[in-house]
Amino acid sequence: MSLFIYGLINSVILALYAVGFSLTYGISGLANFAHGALYILSGFTAWTFIHTAGLPMGLAAVLSIAVTALLGFVFYWVLLLRVRGVALAELIVTFAAGVAILELLMWKGFYGIRYSLQPFIRGGIEIGNVGVDYQRLIVLSTGIILVILLYLFVHHSKVGLAFRAMAQNERTALSVGIESDWIGSLSLAFGSALAATAAIVVLPLGMMESTVGWEVLIYALAVAIVGGLESTLGMIIGSFIIGFGQVAAAKYIGPKWMIIVPLAAIVLVLVVKPSGLFGKFKELEERV
Amino acid sequence: MKRKVIFIALVLVPLVAFLSAPCMPKAYAAAKPVIIGVPTSLYTPFGKEGLKAVKMAVEEINANGGVMVGDEKRPFKVVVSDTRGGEPGTPVHDALMAYEKLITKEKPHAIVIGAFRSEVLIASMDLVAKYKIPQLGTIAQSPKFQAQFKTDPAKYKYLFRVTTDALVPAGYLAHTLDKLKADFGLNKVYIIYQDTLWAQALAGFMKKHCATNGWTEVGYDPYAAGANDFSPALSNAKEGGAQAIAMVWDVPMGAGVFAKQYVAMKVPALLIGFIPPIAAPTAVQTVGPEVEYSLSVEFPAGSSLALKKMPSTGAFLNKFKKKYGALPEAAAVNSSAYDSVFILAAAIEKAGSLDPDQLVAALEKTDYKGASGRIRFNENHIAVFGEKDANETGVAVVFQWQKTSAGNLERVPVYPGFLAEGKIMLPPWMK
Repeated sequence: MSLFIYGLINSVILALYAVGFSLTYGISGLANFAHGALYILSGFTAWTFIHTAGLPMGLAAVLSIAVTALLGFVFYWVLLLRVRGVALAELIVTFAAGVAILELLMWKGFYGIRYSLQPFIRGGIEIGNVGVDYQRLIVLSTGIILVILLYLFVHHSKVGLAFRAMAQNERTALSVGIESDWIGSLSLAFGSALAATAAIVVLPLGMMESTVGWEVLIYALAVAIVGGLESTLGMIIGSFIIGFGQVAAAKYIGPKWMIIVPLAAIVLVLVVKPSGLFGKFKELEERV
Repeated sequence: MKRKVIFIALVLVPLVAFLSAPCMPKAYAAAKPVIIGVPTSLYTPFGKEGLKAVKMAVEEINANGGVMVGDEKRPFKVVVSDTRGGEPGTPVHDALMAYEKLITKEKPHAIVIGAFRSEVLIASMDLVAKYKIPQLGTIAQSPKFQAQFKTDPAKYKYLFRVTTDALVPAGYLAHTLDKLKADFGLNKVYIIYQDTLWAQALAGFMKKHCATNGWTEVGYDPYAAGANDFSPALSNAKEGGAQAIAMVWDVPMGAGVFAKQYVAMKVPALLIGFIPPIAAPTAVQTVGPEVEYSLSVEFPAGSSLALKKMPSTGAFLNKFKKKYGALPEAAAVNSSAYDSVFILAAAIEKAGSLDPDQLVAALEKTDYKGASGRIRFNENHIAVFGEKDANETGVAVVFQWQKTSAGNLERVPVYPGFLAEGKIMLPPWMK
């Protein structure tokens, strides 16, 4: 029972890590390697709003998500515009920005055991003799709600439809008046906001340290690579494979092997199906 | 007018400097500083707070004119290199490069604090021996240090450990478990530890102790240092009926996740061990009021908790708090970092020289009463720690978070007896 419950929760946490990364890549083809840095930055932003400005948790969370989204938006116009379309340059720029954010946070003293966001609700319940805290249930609900909202957004809103058009064919989208840079910057803003949302609900489970940014990036990459970089369904399936894989590894091989699972999954998928389980970018070449 | 002001300034400034020069302590003003190198992992609470303690000690010594080297008083100067060895993912080789860069560039006369991770300490021993720089290590805890030392004492004689090794806190925890067994009849333990050298040694010691002292081991799980989910072990502990969970961890993130997950999963077992966020003075704010009843070992004493029965701990911590505005963040090794500078100063004065071999000979004769107790080195150059008397050896302490009559949570020393200010309390849900 605990394997199922914690496998499910861990899978949703992984999906939350990856959803912003996957969305940005799926729409604009941008692999945002600053994703993990933006995740932890938003956590520290919320902490700062709470502890230095004295704001309540809810308001601090909303502001932190807004600030991170704005940062992603500005990031596109200031840093990425000039290298847009050159995949390697985009990757280097986003990676460098991520390193800069994390090093800046460390330099400003955001490490150690002082930083922690409090759970939204303290306490927990027993599900079939397995203790689960309310915060993990909030994580679970957030993951489900976010996926539903994202589906509604991309299928029923004007911006969402423009996102889909860009994702399907950038040139055709341009021909019908969809401005690619505008959509690219919005996709980065949305991806960043999703990273921040994940941070706000997941970080209260533990402590906040700048190095968490690297971990989140690695997990997001692992999930996206396993599922297929541009596929939302693949992202969800990838999260479940790695999430349950980790819990099963802990149960049957030993807990210290949990950390190997995402890396092993990346290697396996790159060898067997480099596009990922649901990826289509190089599907034809792979078949040939 | 402007020219006149400039002219007066040009005449007056050198004149004032010249006239005031004889007023300064001549030796101090002219003497070259004694360089103390601090190559450590600064983005960890242990490295950061240790460095603060070292700087505080250096300021105290320099305020008295410095350290007497032969017939000359010379000030201490601290030079720092961040090895980043404590961050998950930093290769040992990278940490060693930072170590060597400090040695070759800054040419320190001695090193304090040193490696954070034991893996780096063991690898750095050849480096320190090669450059013949006396080192007073105060963080890394693996007993492999003395094993390596024994292979060639003449070569490794420059290395000393001022702090505990992992077996010291292990002994304190094991004997606290014995108390739990004797006082409350607990006898089922689940051991969880971070899969790094020092924690392996600590957990291994406890495992052996429990096996030979009537404890039933429900589980013994190593976790990778980057782990962030402990539900498998906690579920097993709950299902196996563990009455005590012994946990050893030092990476803040994993420790924080564990601390909160243990609370969340409502495992009906007493928590005992070393989990920095739970042991820290700020635990109630960062982890929550659920830290109540948890037992932590602080090694050595005086690292973050002032003990009424050992005034030297309060003397150090009060000065630290006054200078930096808060107590040290982590409940480990800070008092050792502070003591190490005074031990070095005493050895320099005794040797009357900065010659490494003479300094080593003087360090071997160290007998210093500091914040962490009485420090003397054994034949393997590690400080001798015990559980009986701070006037005889260095000591550690086990404390429990307990509620005061005013309803506040505070850390109450419960072991060893000569430092205890209260008794271990069992949570109501375990009675």
